[in-house]
Amino acid sequence: MKKKKILGCSFPVFIFITILLLGLFFFGFISGPVGSNFFSGIKLPAWTHVAQPNPVLPAERVFFNSPFLTNSIISAWLTIILIVTLVFFAARKAKLIPGKLQNFIEFIFEALYNFCASVAGDNARAFFPVVSTIFLMVIFNAWIALLPIFGTIMVPGYEYQGGTWEHTMVPLFRSANTDINLPLALAIVSFVSVTYFGIRARKTEYVEQFFNFRPFFQSTKKAVKREKGGIMGVFVGLINIVVGLLELLGQFTRIISFTFRLFGNMIAGEILILLFSFLLPYLVPLPFYGLELLVGFVQALIFGGLTLVFMSVAVTSHESDHD
Amino acid sequence: MTAEATKLLAVGLAVGIGMLGPGFGIGLIGYSAMNALGRNPEARGAILTNMILAIAFTEAIGIYILIVAILLALVVK
Repeated sequence: MKKKKILGCSFPVFIFITILLLGLFFFGFISGPVGSNFFSGIKLPAWTHVAQPNPVLPAERVFFNSPFLTNSIISAWLTIILIVTLVFFAARKAKLIPGKLQNFIEFIFEALYNFCASVAGDNARAFFPVVSTIFLMVIFNAWIALLPIFGTIMVPGYEYQGGTWEHTMVPLFRSANTDINLPLALAIVSFVSVTYFGIRARKTEYVEQFFNFRPFFQSTKKAVKREKGGIMGVFVGLINIVVGLLELLGQFTRIISFTFRLFGNMIAGEILILLFSFLLPYLVPLPFYGLELLVGFVQALIFGGLTLVFMSVAVTSHESDHD
Repeated sequence: MTAEATKLLAVGLAVGIGMLGPGFGIGLIGYSAMNALGRNPEARGAILTNMILAIAFTEAIGIYILIVAILLALVVK
């Protein structure tokens, strides 16, 4: 007779795990602020209570009161060291039949290259470096922020509280995506890359799509010579000028939109985890770590993917649209 | 009304009314994507890619509201 299994475990193991999880949940409930108001008689030792979180948006400065050394830049350096070390050791003695690390790095690169090729087609080889750098930067920054060393190792530093920089203990590491400067820098890199590829592929026609004065002047010439379609052409020319200038504004608004999309998602995830670790500690924050993993991956894909899409739109010529 | 009460009310109203837009928007995008997928299951790749793209744009609007709420709640005194 086969032993019956529930969720892959035998019955006693399942009961044991369920009781363990329920106990952890109730222990967290009691030691949080909600439970200690309900069961005000039970006094738990001080180490079970989690301090009320106080998230600040500007990144904290460590050791010196200078804006050049913040805990987010230290985390960004950690990310860069991690990525460069991984790829360096994978590519050092590259064999035809790859070892495990080389296989893993090749898998990542091939997936990214196929993604670029699926959106951009022929230009994938040119777009691949910028897009995959942005993708790897965002995803590694988001994922290593879930390690235990982030937010727990405290060093003396300066925190922006109540309008001034106060000297307190601050975390040594903080996710680089939660400092608004890094998403802003990546958005500017994306904008400059899109403009560079657009001008390289379409030369002056790329700039002309924003300062669209040519149809207007052509139509005024036609109207002066009393040719057919002159007056209507003037109005259409005026509309084209306005639309072109709005397109130019839209290019710059994209920087703001990229910045706040990444920054908002990352800071919301961090505040969510902090809040739930305060309200219902020990068990309930775990699904939110899973959500943070997913959100990190999706935001990296969105940032890189949107950069790729705007690049491929910038290099396609719109000559066929005009009569 | 005190300043504290007004600030809390502003945060609640901002998030409550502001999140209606992206919520409706993403639902509409999903609805049209399901329609298109039902009509033409072979175009699954293209439909999904464009759906993810459109959802990213509308989700960003909700993130702007979140930024405003966080700013109001934590930074403004």
